[in-house]
Amino acid sequence: MFRRVCRFLHRELGFLTVGLTLVYAVSGIAVNHAHHWDANYRRTREESSIGPVGAGPTEEITPRVLELLAPAEPVKSTWRAAPDKLQVFAEGARYDVDLATGSVVRDGFAKRSLLWDVNFMHLNSGKGPWTGIADAYAGILIILAISGIFLVKGRKGLAGRGGFLMGLGFVLPLIYAFVIRSG
Amino acid sequence: MRTTTIMLAIILLLAVGTAQAADSAKVYGKGISAPDTVRISDVLANPDAFVGKAIRVTGLAVGVCAYRGCWINLASDTEGESLRVKVKDGEIVFPPEIMGESVTAEGVWTANLISLKPAEQVKDGEGKKNAACLVEGEDACKTVYQLSGTGAVVAGK
Repeated sequence: MFRRVCRFLHRELGFLTVGLTLVYAVSGIAVNHAHHWDANYRRTREESSIGPVGAGPTEEITPRVLELLAPAEPVKSTWRAAPDKLQVFAEGARYDVDLATGSVVRDGFAKRSLLWDVNFMHLNSGKGPWTGIADAYAGILIILAISGIFLVKGRKGLAGRGGFLMGLGFVLPLIYAFVIRSG
Repeated sequence: MRTTTIMLAIILLLAVGTAQAADSAKVYGKGISAPDTVRISDVLANPDAFVGKAIRVTGLAVGVCAYRGCWINLASDTEGESLRVKVKDGEIVFPPEIMGESVTAEGVWTANLISLKPAEQVKDGEGKKNAACLVEGEDACKTVYQLSGTGAVVAGK
């Protein structure tokens, strides 16, 4: 009876959480390497020139720069970062304009399709109801892990190979925890 | 079949509710609660006077920490000046889309002694612990002021 309940829970909850498991697994790999790449945004850098603009008052310089720059994206705002530098903030891009030389650096950013979404869920950036969903998923993972122990009897089960593999799964994090604490 | 339909309905409702909550989220961290806004130019003109105080500032977001979103720079009301709002990594994540938006942030104004040594000469942890500053004296260091941010709100368009 107990094994039948475990099998039922493992099967039903397993199917239910395939999608969430993929979300957390894919995002887990992506954010594990956050120091290697930007897991959320695709970034681009382009250089161009609009020619020297001069260093007049901001109210005069800004419209001239915007006219010469003619960004493809809607402009949100501008900022005179320094006497010879104007920044233009547009949807999905920032332009750094050197007023003396006219050189322009465009730093663009766009959300990575799918990855941005799964990372948002994994890191619970939105908080709110997703906190409950993520907690429920974590609870289901515990049930899956425990029910999984009792699915198979005999040599391949807890008393045999299954038990050995389970022990290995405990030993690996324990060794790592010991190493980092004593390091 | 009936159970499956009910489960699907619950999942859909949760997903829609979550999406709506995320969509309207323009509040970061604890948001803002301080009663008065201090001008950034006033803070930068006399930074020591505000050290240790909880303050609220408003300015155009002109820079964001790449990759981790762990700080933003807010433009001062005086041209060319900006102030950094540093938040705990992962607790608040500012997206690059915030650049160019008017942001109100609050937190505690802090002063940190940072070693003037080139980064490659600073040993692990030395910068944070100010060990070089304590050993070599304050001439070997500079004071970096920033707002240890607890929350922020982006003004609607």
